[in-house]
This record gives sequence, C-alpha cells and structure tokens, in this order.
Amino acid sequence: MVRIFFIIFLLAIGLISCKTDSTKTGDTFEIPDSLFEEEPLVIAEEAMDEIIQNVSSPVEMAALIKNTNAPFEQKYLCSPDLTDNINTNFKRALCLGILGADLGYLNMYNKTGSVVSYLSAIKKLSEDLKVGQFFDFTTLKRLATNNTNLDSLMYISVSSFNRMDDFLRENSRSNISTLIITGVWIEGLYLATQVVKEYHNKDIAERIGEQKIILGDLTIILKNYKSDPNFSVLIEKIEKIKNEYEGITIRYELDEPESIEEEGVLKIIQHETSYVDINNEQLNNIIKTAEEIRNFIINI
Amino acid sequence: MMSKIKFLILALLMAYKFDAFSQCNDELINICALDIGEATYLKEFKVRLKKAKKGKPAPVARFSVVLNKGTHYRFTTCNAKEYDGEVILQLYDADRLLGSTYNVQTGKMYKAFDFICRKSAVYHLFFSYKEGKEGCSVGILSFVNKED
Repeated sequence: MVRIFFIIFLLAIGLISCKTDSTKTGDTFEIPDSLFEEEPLVIAEEAMDEIIQNVSSPVEMAALIKNTNAPFEQKYLCSPDLTDNINTNFKRALCLGILGADLGYLNMYNKTGSVVSYLSAIKKLSEDLKVGQFFDFTTLKRLATNNTNLDSLMYISVSSFNRMDDFLRENSRSNISTLIITGVWIEGLYLATQVVKEYHNKDIAERIGEQKIILGDLTIILKNYKSDPNFSVLIEKIEKIKNEYEGITIRYELDEPESIEEEGVLKIIQHETSYVDINNEQLNNIIKTAEEIRNFIINI
Repeated sequence: MMSKIKFLILALLMAYKFDAFSQCNDELINICALDIGEATYLKEFKVRLKKAKKGKPAPVARFSVVLNKGTHYRFTTCNAKEYDGEVILQLYDADRLLGSTYNVQTGKMYKAFDFICRKSAVYHLFFSYKEGKEGCSVGILSFVNKED
C-alpha cells in the first residue's frame, strides 16, 4: 500500500512539474533589491496601470509617419551600440523604451536588416533588467532575417513589450515600467518632431500637439518616484516640455456617431472631431525641447 | 481502497489534461491575434469575470485607452472555450456609448467592430458577459490603416 501511495505521489509531482504556466516564460530568478520599489506610491497602483496603458503604442506614431510618405531615415534612430556603456537600471529602462520605439519604426518601414541589431540591444537591456524571458529572440531574429512574415515580427515584438510591461507592474516594479514608457513616449515624440522639422506635415504637427493629452498623466506617474535623484532630474526635463505645451489648445466639434454594418462587419464612424491649435513657434519649441530631452537621456 | 486510488490517479490525469487545453491564459491572445485580419496589433485587454450574483448586475471590467484622430481601429474579442460567457465589449467616450459588440435591439453578437476615430482622447472600454455568466476573454485593439 505504501508503494502505491509513493507511486501516486511521484505521479502528482511529475504532473505538477510538467504543467507549464504560460505567464512564466523563463526560469525563476533572483531579482536584485534595487529593481523593486522601495517607497509607497503616491497614487494607487490601479491609477498607475490606467495611465501607463494610455500611452499610445510607438507603432501608431510610426504608422502615421509612414502614411505621410516621409522616407525612412536611419539618422533619426538611436544607435543600438548605446547599450555598451549602460550601468544603471534607470538608464537601461529608459533606453529599452527608446529602442522599442525605434524597433516599431523599423518594423513599420520593413527595415528587417537593421532590426536584428536593435533586437540584440533590446535583448541585452531586457536581460540586465531581468525581463528577458518575455522576448523570444530566436524567433524574432529568424523572422527578421527571413524577411517573410513581417506581421508576425510586428506582433511578437509588440506583444513581448506588452507582456513585459504587465509583468513589471504586477511585480512591484512599476518604476521600471514607468521609465520604459517614458522612453517610448520621448522617442515617439522625437521621431515625429524630426519628421515634421523636415517635411512640415500638418497631421504629424497635430499628433505632436495631441501629446498634451497624456503628458500630464506621464508627469503624474513620474512624480511617484521624485525622491529618487535620477527621477527628479527626468521630471525636471519632462516639466520643461510640459511648459511648451501650455499654450496649445484642443477644441472639439460635437456630433453623433454613426453605426453601419457592411458585409457583416460592424463599423462605427465618429463624427465628433478634435482640432489642435498649435502655431509654428510652439511647434519649434517642442521640436527643440524634444531633441534636448532625448539627447539628454541617451547621454546620461 | 483500490477504486479510490484509481479515481485519484484519474482525477490527476484529468486535471492535467484540462489544464493542457485551457485557453484562459496568454495563449488566447495569440489565438485572437490571428483573427484581426489585415490590421496591425496594438495591445490586448485580458478579462476574467465571475458569474453575476443573484439580483446583482453583471460584473464589469474597465480599461482606458488613448485613441488617435484619423485612425481606423479594430476591436476584436475572443472567448476561452472552457467558459460559457460570451463577452460584450462596449466603447465609451466619457459617458457616451459609441459602440458595442452586442446589439440590444436585435440581440445580435459581433466578434469585432471597427471604429473610425476622429477625436483624439482617452476612451473607456467596458467588458461584461451576456446574462452575467462567468467568462474569460481577450479583447485585441489593432489598427487597419490611416483614414483618408
């Protein structure tokens, strides 16, 4: 009888160890204390999640740039060699966001040749931040090298970032998540401002102005960590760009939405419209400040 | 005694098998991402809600998202097979309902809907289950192309 129970015990252990939890894509590991938040947050975790979710995907900004027929420009992008001299998690997280936004831009223009070096840099940064398990770099590099399934490359890249972000916020590492999001946002703004500087596109200028919607929230989540001297300097920089947005206004023209069904597909057309009032001086000041902050981050 | 032991082994095997085919996890995101058609994936919303308590309204999960003017968005939903709940996704601008995967008048359920956005703002997504059933689902936000 004891033998039977022993067999059942072994069977149970075997089954438990064979079960794979899809939320854990790598082995468990020790995370240095410095990666965790040490002080209670000023705003609730739930509110933090909501604000972080609100930051638009860098892919949307890249798609808008591409849709204006602006040509691809490597010079806009941050060099992946940037990772060579990074020795703080603060800078790792910011640069991970910057390179993530650049990866979105490269993917949007199908520049798969350059994607591999950006993936290698992202791999290094994410592994140093102990979140490398969310990126299947072998598959990503294979997709980039084969240059065939670009939709999959885009999907796996973006969803890996999203899952990493979920993990960070669920594991009391919202400080790292906040920095990554800030890096993504700054680089998205930087790319847009560089394009508008050269091509004077109205849609991109308007999208730059619309960043006012999330800039306030971004400042709020950064201020959660203002006791950290590194964050304090970053907040100062973000406040500077926030000031440049002071005079920009967003107007709304009210109207009712329309709902139609075409070949079984439900389509909702919004007729309420937003307009951004941004003049050249305001735009030029934002371009200048975005450059300053982005260059400050990569040279920390 | 032997029959109890056999039952125990069977239960363990069933539990393992059930888990192996469970969809209420990140795999559902991958499955649902295949359903977005000619669109580019942006983000997903994971929803897991209990059955509504008797006499109480159906539980709701809320998310907020910034949507940008001039973008053709697509909201796609997928339900995990092991639950009965059929998810209803509603898109709100402040307190105004813009669209839903459930048409209350006709009773028709849609797996997805497209949203032609002309106002950059923070929008709210509400997920609930038809008849307050228990469910597990994923909502995928993607964009089709720039609006002309």
